[in-house]
Amino acid sequence: MKRMAFSFFLGILFLTLQTTLLSSLPIQRIRPDLVLILILYWGLSCPPISGGILSFFLGYLMDLFSGNSFGLYAFSRPLLFYLAQLFRGRLYLEGSLSQFLFVFLFALFEGFLILTLLFAFNPVPLGNLYPLLFAFYFPQSFLTGLITPILFLLLRKVFFLLFPQYGIGMRERG
Amino acid sequence: MRIRGFFLFRRYSVLTFIVFLLLSALILMSLRVKERKGVDFFDAFLMELCSPFQKASTFVIKTIQNAFQSYIVLIHLQKENVMLKQKVVELQKENSQMKEMAYANERLRRLLAFREKISSSVIAAEVIGQDPSSWFKSMTINKGEKEGVKKGMAVISPEGVVGQILKTAPYHSTILLITDYNSAVDSIVQRIRAKAIVEGKGENRCQLKYLLRSEDVVVGDIVVTSGVGGNFPKGLMVGEIRKVDRKEHGIFQYAELVPSVDLTKLEEVLIIAESPLPPQEDKAKKIKKSPARVSPKKK
Repeated sequence: MKRMAFSFFLGILFLTLQTTLLSSLPIQRIRPDLVLILILYWGLSCPPISGGILSFFLGYLMDLFSGNSFGLYAFSRPLLFYLAQLFRGRLYLEGSLSQFLFVFLFALFEGFLILTLLFAFNPVPLGNLYPLLFAFYFPQSFLTGLITPILFLLLRKVFFLLFPQYGIGMRERG
Repeated sequence: MRIRGFFLFRRYSVLTFIVFLLLSALILMSLRVKERKGVDFFDAFLMELCSPFQKASTFVIKTIQNAFQSYIVLIHLQKENVMLKQKVVELQKENSQMKEMAYANERLRRLLAFREKISSSVIAAEVIGQDPSSWFKSMTINKGEKEGVKKGMAVISPEGVVGQILKTAPYHSTILLITDYNSAVDSIVQRIRAKAIVEGKGENRCQLKYLLRSEDVVVGDIVVTSGVGGNFPKGLMVGEIRKVDRKEHGIFQYAELVPSVDLTKLEEVLIIAESPLPPQEDKAKKIKKSPARVSPKKK
């Protein structure tokens, strides 16, 4: 329970950083998605029920603070969490390159998923969003992937420091 | 049989939960698409829960930025002359604070002058957060329902149109910026009085839709609000046309415009609380009659 509460506040902290600090940096147009990294980390280390609920809430909060009125993230974030759970234990994710690729591909997948959902819900064609995919979303996914190894390492250390009983590593069980 | 059933349930309980969670998200999504609103109370509660973090974070970032400007830039001077540096730091700090005050003063004076200029009653608010995603363009402000902010209210700045209120909580609200692809503002090209709809294009750009091909629009033309719909007062600057694409065929032409407000550097905004145009009942009738008023877009 303590671990879940801590994870929840960590999620709020990451969301706050994403909406304030990263938006105030000069590279704000292509800022890394910290919340996505956290959710994928949970996917690799959290149990399915508590992790699913946390991902849903964080997605819900993202919807709340964004101009998105459909609730896309409340769906996409738990979906990504469970997809990450599928790969848990099946992929070698201890190396920086594999972690980068893992998050980069998931970020791209989410981009396509959101585009697909937007197209499904909007009867009016949204041709404006195509350029965004290549001009911003691709570099942003790349940047998200780049900072993943550092963030995964930090998260692992923090969780191990606070909750040593759960062990360390991507395959820890909560 | 009952025991076997129980074990089967235990075995599939995680799977059942996953399906339930994803289905709930899908149902929520379809409800939002249909009604264009979420669980109001819950949304407001969560917004109020998280906004103080944003406010605190923005305060810390601004303080650090100020400190950085005041001190860090001058660190290398310490090597040359410690005494001189101390004096310079003090002066710099004072200067920086005064500059910051002067800038704030100037901004607020313009805001006040603008507020007096427009006839509607307005609410001033401070931007405390940006959109967490890259697909959508929105901002969080520190004023909400308790201060009279309601969904759909127009948000402006002295430079022009910013957007409109998308979601509200008791003390905080979210603005849908005009650059968001979901935003649509009824406008006119100032020089030739041609009507069009300004739609967001995502990345600090908007486009003019339903602009007749016969209209003589040129690069540099100013686009202002038409006042139709009653959300925005007439004549507020929306942006400047940067690109015109008149195709050989078709009844409409395409034009791209840059918003007059630099939405990436916005710190304070004004919310038009009282529409200068029709009262509520007349307005409702007009909305039904006028298909052009589509902001935020309703499908």
